[in-house]
Amino acid sequence: MNRLLLLLILLYTHPAYAEYKTPETIFDQPDLQGIWSNATITPLERPYNAKESSISKHDAQAWEQQANAYISISEQPIDPDAPAPKTADPAKGYESFWVDRGTNLAIVNGAIRTSLISYPSNGKIPYRSSAQSKLQIFLSRFISGFDHPEQRSPGERCIVGYGSSGGPPMLPVLYNNHIQIIQNKDHVLIHVEMNHDARIIRLNAPHTPLPAWLGNSIGIWEDETLVVTTKHFAKGQDCRASMTHWFCMSENATVTERFTRISDSQILYEFEIDDPESFSDVWKGEIPLNAAEGPIYEYACHEGNYGMKNILSGARQQEAELKQ
Amino acid sequence: MFISERLFLVVCFIFCTSHSFADNNNIPRLPNGKPDFNGVWQVLNTANYNIEPHAASSAMSLKDGPYGSLPSDEVVSLGAVGSIPAGVGVTDKIPYQEWALRKREENKNNWLDRDPEIKCYLPGTPRATYMPFPFQIIQSEQAFFFAYEYAGATRNVFLSDPGPAPIDSWMGQSYGQWEGDTFVIEVTGNNDQTWFDRSGNFHSDALHVEERYTYKHPNLIRYEATITDEKVFTRPWKMSMNIYRRQAEDAQILQFKCVEFVEELIYGHLRRNHE
Repeated sequence: MNRLLLLLILLYTHPAYAEYKTPETIFDQPDLQGIWSNATITPLERPYNAKESSISKHDAQAWEQQANAYISISEQPIDPDAPAPKTADPAKGYESFWVDRGTNLAIVNGAIRTSLISYPSNGKIPYRSSAQSKLQIFLSRFISGFDHPEQRSPGERCIVGYGSSGGPPMLPVLYNNHIQIIQNKDHVLIHVEMNHDARIIRLNAPHTPLPAWLGNSIGIWEDETLVVTTKHFAKGQDCRASMTHWFCMSENATVTERFTRISDSQILYEFEIDDPESFSDVWKGEIPLNAAEGPIYEYACHEGNYGMKNILSGARQQEAELKQ
Repeated sequence: MFISERLFLVVCFIFCTSHSFADNNNIPRLPNGKPDFNGVWQVLNTANYNIEPHAASSAMSLKDGPYGSLPSDEVVSLGAVGSIPAGVGVTDKIPYQEWALRKREENKNNWLDRDPEIKCYLPGTPRATYMPFPFQIIQSEQAFFFAYEYAGATRNVFLSDPGPAPIDSWMGQSYGQWEGDTFVIEVTGNNDQTWFDRSGNFHSDALHVEERYTYKHPNLIRYEATITDEKVFTRPWKMSMNIYRRQAEDAQILQFKCVEFVEELIYGHLRRNHE
């Protein structure tokens, strides 16, 4: 009898069997602090050739090898005597040195995920046609709108990070996927490396009803999970991306994020987008945030934004040449 | 009654001005005993116009007039809104090297073209502290972070030695240590692009800033910054000022992402059909 009791105690207290106990801050709240990365090659939406929400380890290895093949290609030495290309090739814009999108598929609850979207079950964004039209207009402007700076994306304008790096929802992008979380008694601060965005989440406070880039976020603790609700998005940030997947939300969207520390080295990040104007249903996603080595560096985008000047002046030069 | 009131005032004066009172007993502290600087803070001074003592004047950008300087054509329509309030200064006369003093005057005379604030560039340290915007300190046992409302600037303070800054940056690299109840931050790795104020006061990439944050009162920080830059100044010099806690229940920093506000200034001439 005593041996059985001892065995049960050992099993219960062994790390492999014990449920993870989130450490606490000095303010007696679950401790999410540290530097984390959401880099992954799992796409936001499920690719057409993936049938299920998760795949086997064998299939995952094949996927990862294929996805990472570009790294070895782009690491080939560049011919310094090569002439300028005759046509623009976006794929040559970044070689692997500048890319930090991760090399692995996301693993959530032990499942190797084929999409970051966990609901709807098909892993796709449930667009309304109005939202798709908005996206088409945005993409058309993104591809060929060089008349005014406002036609470029907020990322190119250095107002917020590219894609949806600062979110919310905070989604992986091509590089700079790091965030730093700092907590005091009344706030959780998420410092997003891309464009030095500091999301200051006030705990147990009302929303401040002013439109803002990245919206206005408030938070509460539900047991060991930080639940963040964000409203009042600036109109200019309605269309975002995670790698190649673009989507547009309205400024009336509500985004709910849940941060749960599930181990010393991982936070499970869940998000839910509720925007009846744009989507026929809520849609949800899950992304592991993995502990990362610091530090986070300064992302002084606007101060060195030669790109915007070159984009606009190049377009004006083309116009001048066409007039001749 | 009269005597009681006077006694009350005397007692209040003694307690309110007593440094040891503030240092030891009555300042906010974290559970680990360190002074707790969490909060929304802001200066109440005119240092961002000019850190040196200065009289009120008509404008930052001036031109010669028949009886002295006049607002330049670019700012004249701002009227009183564009004029400069006086300030006793947060430092004495800055000990510039001779060439550097000439450059400061050049900067001042070309304020509209040269002040990085006009283009919404990151303010650098220490200017971020006394911009006319609040900033928030988020402090825990393992982190100390500044979030500035102006331009959404940020500064993470390392609490263990990070070694030399890997590269110069706009906000520099900050390393903080406690000296008793004073938080001392060494700011290194500064680039040479930021200014101290709107009056052209500048530095080089050799800038080293030692900041000292000391509670004088639960809602008042005494701030000191010692500036060392052997390329520009003849000796180290110091600025000091008070920083006040924003005490309203809804005190928070709001968003001032001014990048979009300066697009017309920076890119307007590149618009299609620009006139």
